[in-house]
Amino acid sequence: MGMSPVQSVSAAAEAPPAETFQPLIIALCCNWCSYAGADLAGVSRIQYPPSIRMVRVMCSGMVHPNLVIEALTKGADGVLICGCHPGDCHYQEGNLKAEKRAEAIRLMLSDFGIEEERFRLEWVSAAEGPRFAQVVRDFTEQVQKLGPNPYRTQ
Amino acid sequence: MAARLAEEWFAICGGCEVTILDIGEPLLDVLKQVEIVHMPVIMDHKLFGQTGENAEMEIPAADVGLISGGIRSEEHKKLALEMRKKCTILISLGSCACFGGIPALANQYSTQEMIEKVYRGSKSTESNGLPHEQIPELLDRVYAVHEVVPVDAYLPGCPTTPDMVANALVAILEGKPLPALSSKSVCDECPTKREKKAVGTLKRRYDSPDFKPGAPLSEMRCLMEQGILCLGPATRGGCGGDSVPRCIRAYMPCEGCFGPLSEKANPMVDMMGALSSIGLDPKQIPDRAATFNRFAGAGRLRPALRR
Ligand code: SF4
Ligand code: SF4
Ligand code: SF4
Repeated sequence: MGMSPVQSVSAAAEAPPAETFQPLIIALCCNWCSYAGADLAGVSRIQYPPSIRMVRVMCSGMVHPNLVIEALTKGADGVLICGCHPGDCHYQEGNLKAEKRAEAIRLMLSDFGIEEERFRLEWVSAAEGPRFAQVVRDFTEQVQKLGPNPYRTQ
Repeated sequence: MAARLAEEWFAICGGCEVTILDIGEPLLDVLKQVEIVHMPVIMDHKLFGQTGENAEMEIPAADVGLISGGIRSEEHKKLALEMRKKCTILISLGSCACFGGIPALANQYSTQEMIEKVYRGSKSTESNGLPHEQIPELLDRVYAVHEVVPVDAYLPGCPTTPDMVANALVAILEGKPLPALSSKSVCDECPTKREKKAVGTLKRRYDSPDFKPGAPLSEMRCLMEQGILCLGPATRGGCGGDSVPRCIRAYMPCEGCFGPLSEKANPMVDMMGALSSIGLDPKQIPDRAATFNRFAGAGRLRPALRR
């Protein structure tokens, strides 16, 4: 495993018990706010769990439900979509679209036998580095409680 | 020499056979070049021999085989295997054969549950017990034909279209490759006006849309944007030939009869995305799985986990 010295030190410092389940979370972050927010968390050296794999998208409104369902039915333990706060969308209404779609996603998760709590939609602005880290910490903990994705163990 | 044609029907309504007749006058030309060797709907050719003398079901050898209907029983399964063995080219005729069709809605229940409901459970049924003599065993669910035997071509639609059947038969007679299915969606082929936003909320299923009679369809607002559930975004195009999709032509929403966009597509996910993307409330769809997989239940609908 190619861990940088900083990462390996912090991992050792937190020293999770060996059996703690490390979830794999796909985070889809919008280019204009949330990705910048995540970047800020990084440059500010705020610690958060190494559970997320981030994908930059131009807008939270371009994430169709099939992407989320596919990630979860193919074994991701959680999916997080982050967009600009309502009213701040670079494309005006993209995040409102994302909110409507989130409803559809939650309905379908039950159809697919996946816990609703494996999906989250959050607003993170470019200035909210600490908030981004907090969201990832909270969500990671929530998914940890659920355990591995049922589709992964099938 | 005339091409030999065999046709079998499994779990169906018979509408797809009527579609062959619907080819109309061009059918007369096709028939001159075709010899029908087996077709239960129009001819008395018995599977166990004319006097029932054979031990096994047999279908004569043919150049082209058409199968309509999904596979529901052991008998269907045996016949599908026999058709595959005897026919050089095997074609799935209609959405029942291609994706299970309407009968595959029963795949939401186990075979046992379904039998209970049909023969004993429903309020309108005076039960005389379950039929058991001389009938083939039911399978665990409805299968599309290609889930049981390899199929060379698909003619989807409920019913399929006379033009598609005619084109396929003519291509075979002329030794040309079978026409490919459309790679577009019904929406791609629909001329209505779209603004990517719904006006108002979802309407009842068969509420009339707003349109000016006689005006071109391009002046009508997209039915879904008018709040009328339309499966166009998640349905394979081609039903209208080179023209407007069949239902849209009649100011009716697409029901999804040409089946999903691809073998792997999940129409429910696609439709929930399409609905919510234009601002409609997906909670208002009462029976999501069945509504969006109405014609594609084989392999897509399964009994819900009952807790
Ligand atoms: S596809 Fe439709 S018309 Fe054809 S047999 Fe099935 S139910 Fe009947
Ligand atoms: S949703 Fe229906 S009416 Fe609207 S464009 Fe698609 S096929 Fe046409
Ligand atoms: S518009 Fe849809 S339901 Fe109507 S014929 Fe075409 S594919 Fe079938």
